[in-house]
Amino acid sequence: MSRPALARAAIVAVAWLALATFPEWSQFWESSRFATGIIRQILIFAIFASSLDLLVGYAGLPSLGHAAFFGGGAYAAAIAAQRLGTDELVVSLGAGILGAALLALAVGFLAVRAVGIFFLMLTLALAQMVFAIAFQATDLTGGSNGFSAVHRPILFGIDFNAAGNLYLLVCVTFLLVLLLLWRITTSSYGRALVGVRENERRMRALGYDTRTLKLSAFVLAGAIAGVAGALSSYEFRFVSPNDVALSTSVTGFVMVLIGGAGTLFGPVLGAAVVLLIERVLPSQLPAQTVLGIVFILFVVFARQGIAGALRRMVRA
Amino acid sequence: MIEIRELRRDFGGIRALAGVDLRVEAGERRAVIGPNGAGKTTLFNVLTGELPATGGTMRLGGTNLDSLTTWQRARLGLARMYQRNELFNPLSARENVLLSITSLGGAYRPLRSPTSAEVAGAEAVLAQVGLEGRGAVPARALSHGERRQLELALALARRPRVLLLDEPTAGMSPAETQRIAALIAALDRSLTLLIVEHDMDVVFRLADRLTVLHEGRAIAEGTPDEIRSDRQVHDVYLGKVVES
Amino acid sequence: MTFEDALQQALNGLSFGALLFILAAGLSLIFGMMDVVNLAHGAFYMLGAYVALSVTRATGSFWIALIVAPLALAAFGLIIEPLLLRRLRGRHLDQVLITIGLSLVIADFIRLRDDWGWGATVRSLPFPAGLDRSIQIAGSDYPTYRLFVIAFSAALAFLLYVLHRRTRLGALVRAGVGDAQMLSALGVDTDRLFTLTFAVGAGLAGLAGVVAAPVFGLQPGMDIDALIYSLIVVVVGGLGSLSGAIAGSAVVGPADTFGKVLFPQFALALIFAIMALVLLFRPTGLLGRVRIGR
Repeated sequence: MSRPALARAAIVAVAWLALATFPEWSQFWESSRFATGIIRQILIFAIFASSLDLLVGYAGLPSLGHAAFFGGGAYAAAIAAQRLGTDELVVSLGAGILGAALLALAVGFLAVRAVGIFFLMLTLALAQMVFAIAFQATDLTGGSNGFSAVHRPILFGIDFNAAGNLYLLVCVTFLLVLLLLWRITTSSYGRALVGVRENERRMRALGYDTRTLKLSAFVLAGAIAGVAGALSSYEFRFVSPNDVALSTSVTGFVMVLIGGAGTLFGPVLGAAVVLLIERVLPSQLPAQTVLGIVFILFVVFARQGIAGALRRMVRA
Repeated sequence: MIEIRELRRDFGGIRALAGVDLRVEAGERRAVIGPNGAGKTTLFNVLTGELPATGGTMRLGGTNLDSLTTWQRARLGLARMYQRNELFNPLSARENVLLSITSLGGAYRPLRSPTSAEVAGAEAVLAQVGLEGRGAVPARALSHGERRQLELALALARRPRVLLLDEPTAGMSPAETQRIAALIAALDRSLTLLIVEHDMDVVFRLADRLTVLHEGRAIAEGTPDEIRSDRQVHDVYLGKVVES
Repeated sequence: MTFEDALQQALNGLSFGALLFILAAGLSLIFGMMDVVNLAHGAFYMLGAYVALSVTRATGSFWIALIVAPLALAAFGLIIEPLLLRRLRGRHLDQVLITIGLSLVIADFIRLRDDWGWGATVRSLPFPAGLDRSIQIAGSDYPTYRLFVIAFSAALAFLLYVLHRRTRLGALVRAGVGDAQMLSALGVDTDRLFTLTFAVGAGLAGLAGVVAAPVFGLQPGMDIDALIYSLIVVVVGGLGSLSGAIAGSAVVGPADTFGKVLFPQFALALIFAIMALVLLFRPTGLLGRVRIGR
């Protein structure tokens, strides 16, 4: 490993350790428990936003239906655990990933035929169908009441019902997902996705089956969104149609764009900003309005997001 | 190697290709010349599958291309250097070439990095087109001449059997033109070339045989000497060039 | 299903299709001219309905609301287009993203305006006087308002058709120019043209909101439903053409209505299936000129 790479790895390791031990070293702060909860949710949404960024930022596929796989994963995890009568993490998380990936395969099969704005339209419309199913299939999903009393899982006898354990589970999953995404985006495959984003026609002339490439990215991103969905079901012990709704897709998109599309840490920053606006902002301020305005400002004035702006500052 | 029969392509009411017949042997270097609007670029677009043909058939090394997609034709060993550069601008020159190399299969596995052999291959191709030492430069930061060289490198990196060169010297200075012509002349003789080019010096230097395209039809074919002395060709095309 | 039921549902489907036409025409117009899919279209529709609610309460007349609400939305479009979209001319995807942000703000605004009698609770707009009863058709009662919707939409379609054929704006839409450079070359003031187009599109969304309100009521989420339906209509019928909007709404309206009656659980699945089939086998939509997929 080269020296800058080693230094970077060391920084990431230290930062992650600091994050993972946050509940310990902040325990004398009166809001420690509240803050830990917020961080847990930020990390879960960071996983969701990062998976969306693989599509939006890297492959240039502006999906406005990503919540279908977040919520789909959450439902699949909760339903599998209930139907199979087990709290094993492997079962519910596996079901979440598998369910989300299968949904993404079905939606992506149609959506990757369209380009640009039309891709956005189709993902939006098809995700809305998933929403309708979640809403109408009352026997399976609980319909508009949602799916409540989700059990928190266990793994090797570790019970994630304890808040501290759940926090660790989220931290570890977050780290693994980010490492995976880093690996994917720096691989030949990741470069090929960038190639599709930059010039799909040329990629075809180079012998790339770009439709398969795009579909595979869509399924991969969907599966990772399913991880976030499963974690969210543990976090809130509740899955509702709102997890599949357009508003959640939009929230993910806003996180990616505010943070910086096409970067690894941008979506993480974006998730933090959006959740802080939603959860910490004084409640008399209308969160959605603030979010909408912030989003518009970023699109108009800072299309590269926070990460892009920071990068430009470092270079200057 | 290339066998085209009765190839037709209409745009609305306009016949861009009105039944082109063309046969190019393996290892041959064939230039396609003709005035603007003769259908040369359309011929390339139909051959690569970027435009569907209206009628006729195409074969590459015995394989029928008619129902194949662009990427399937590329997999059969058909590569193209575009008239306008079609590069991946934010990526470095090396990454551009690697994209072309890994298209042979490596890029479909999400956890695989380019192998050292692939990186070495990319460096070799960059050196072959005269871009040694420029591998780390983003494509958008290269000069126009260098971008044309990289465009050629992208086409070569996949080790094609047939290379379509669409105006390889377009927009180049005389020095750059010499350079790219020399690069093409030095290519392996086993590679079949189909060249569209306006610079007649370059054409006569590179091509074994010439096909003259006029109003969507191949009106003449022969060695450079035969074409030079063909009266009909003079009338439609060369005459103007020679006079001016 | 008896013959009377079938006839009744056919009329329902027709009136829903008629409503979808008003909604989709605006979306399609904006796309045809500006290459922008206005994702705030559903929010404009919702705003139109709520403005109509306030106007009807204030004046006691639905008919005044039917005129005022579309004009209010058109005026809103006249402000929004130069303010937000003009800066991003040529960046179509970013313009689409802006409309997402806009729809968030509008929906939140409506949700928070309890003091205007809007808010997050379900509201209803009574049928206008004279259209609040039923008439006998083939032996069963049928609400006159739904017949009015069909007639109104048909008249609107005719009006738009005439504008389409006879005016300069219509000629430009038909030519499908949508390219600022080309338009400038033709001597068109593109800024004015695009602002006008956006305003007319927003006005049509508002009009759809007023017309729909007595039938479907007013509630949070109606913006998203409207957006989804209008997207499906333009995908099925074809984007950017008047005939595409007509064809799409003529297919989706009845299909959705009969779907809801015949297999209530899978009504949405039916229209999505239609959309999927169109995409796979006719990527331009039934009557479109723009290829959505490959």
